Amino acid sequence: MRPLLSLVRKELTVLFGSPVAYVTLTAIALVTALLFFDHLRIYNQILFVYTSNVTGGFEGGTVPAHVNLQDQVFMPLMQQLAITLIGLIPLITMRVFSEERARGTDEFLLTSLLTPNQIVLGKFVATFLFVALMLAVSFVYPAAAVLRAGLGAQHLLAVYVGLLVLGLGLASIGLVCSAFTTSQLVAAVSAYAVAFALYDLGWLNPFVGNRAAETLSLLSLQPRFSGFAEGLLSLADAVYFAGLIAVGFVLARLSLDLVRVR
Amino acid sequence: MEQHGGACVEAVALTRRFGPNTALDRLTLTIEPGETFGLLGANGAGKTTFIRLITGYLIPTEGSVTVDGFSPVTHPAQVHERLGYVAETTRLYPDLRVERFLRFAGEVHGLAGKGLDEAVERSIERFSLASVSSRLVGNLSKGFQQRVSLAQAFLHDPALLIVDEPTSGLDPLQQAEVDEVLAGLRGERTVILCTHDLAEARALASRVAVLRQGRLVAAGPASEVLGGSDPLALFRAPAAAA
Repeated sequence: MRPLLSLVRKELTVLFGSPVAYVTLTAIALVTALLFFDHLRIYNQILFVYTSNVTGGFEGGTVPAHVNLQDQVFMPLMQQLAITLIGLIPLITMRVFSEERARGTDEFLLTSLLTPNQIVLGKFVATFLFVALMLAVSFVYPAAAVLRAGLGAQHLLAVYVGLLVLGLGLASIGLVCSAFTTSQLVAAVSAYAVAFALYDLGWLNPFVGNRAAETLSLLSLQPRFSGFAEGLLSLADAVYFAGLIAVGFVLARLSLDLVRVR
Repeated sequence: MEQHGGACVEAVALTRRFGPNTALDRLTLTIEPGETFGLLGANGAGKTTFIRLITGYLIPTEGSVTVDGFSPVTHPAQVHERLGYVAETTRLYPDLRVERFLRFAGEVHGLAGKGLDEAVERSIERFSLASVSSRLVGNLSKGFQQRVSLAQAFLHDPALLIVDEPTSGLDPLQQAEVDEVLAGLRGERTVILCTHDLAEARALASRVAVLRQGRLVAAGPASEVLGGSDPLALFRAPAAAA
């Protein structure tokens, strides 16, 4: 257990020893703030139009039901935050395995008392902790939107659980891409390609039958995340993301074995 | 420091192929506890492959290798707790500070608490790293990086130390320092010294083996194997030698 914790600590130290960690944290804080205030500005403009021009006054009940903080600010912000995670997480995962292999330090780890399972687990845990930190940084504005919209803490919790499992799923994809190459660039580009393709497999619908389209929908990230974004905690969605992480772990573990028998 | 008799390394018909290329061909060799054993050969002779098979980083295609009777494939923990490894090029983490890296190296080799503190302190002193202990590994000169690499290999007091080209790229002064450290280990633990520097092998190793194109072409006391008029002939491929 101690070697595993030591590896997690080393991974975080190396991560925070590079500018990528700070750039990523700053980027997510900035993007969240910009998106939040942009949606809030548009929401205020819509509200102004409805309350001043259309109905001629600020009377209760004159604003359509869909013009509310949840639909105009909170939901789009959450969807865009999910896309932002796709943009940022590969920057964090790209070096995790590929850099070890390029520098030859994987040999150092594999000749220590760490087992291959512990090596993969340590890297996954460290990356997951960083993803959780990214979401914590982005928490302030969505929390304000939820509290002002009166959605309650449960909805906020469901959305952030959704963002967290989505982030962990994306991190798993990025880690697998990193585990099969020595190039950080290849790792990042392939992670972007897989994540964007998997985000919504609906783009394949014109090429497949209805049955296959349904299956593809079940495999897409976006519909799974949408449930959480609407405040619904679903076991099926949770199992989907857990499965994605498990597949990522197994593939990354396999990459270590391939090095030994190649 | 605790005295070791060292570990015994035994290879039997050890073979490793990479696709159609045979990097190591039916190598049978025994390295006795406590001896400093020189592994010689030209680039691509199979030295590093042999070392990686001992450490368990590679899996043999055929044959077997054991450390104190333990196979690195089936009992990696037992092998790794006996093993200190200095790889060919300094494989370190440039973003970690020297002391932090040594602590990490100690922890992943099972050290903790006071034992870890003492081991790190001892290694820093032994390899004269006190002046750079708070610097980033990536900012050190190659000589200091090699010392850090040696220091991490000694931390857990291994019975078997494998050093792959320990003086490669070092200036003569630094080479002498590293050789002095290795000479001080004679009898204390088993050392496998992988080198293509014949003078270094003569000075440090009690026995040597010469590999050529993956095959063992000579093995025995260093003075005998390297004592002929043209020891370099052992390194040359048969066609070139003729």
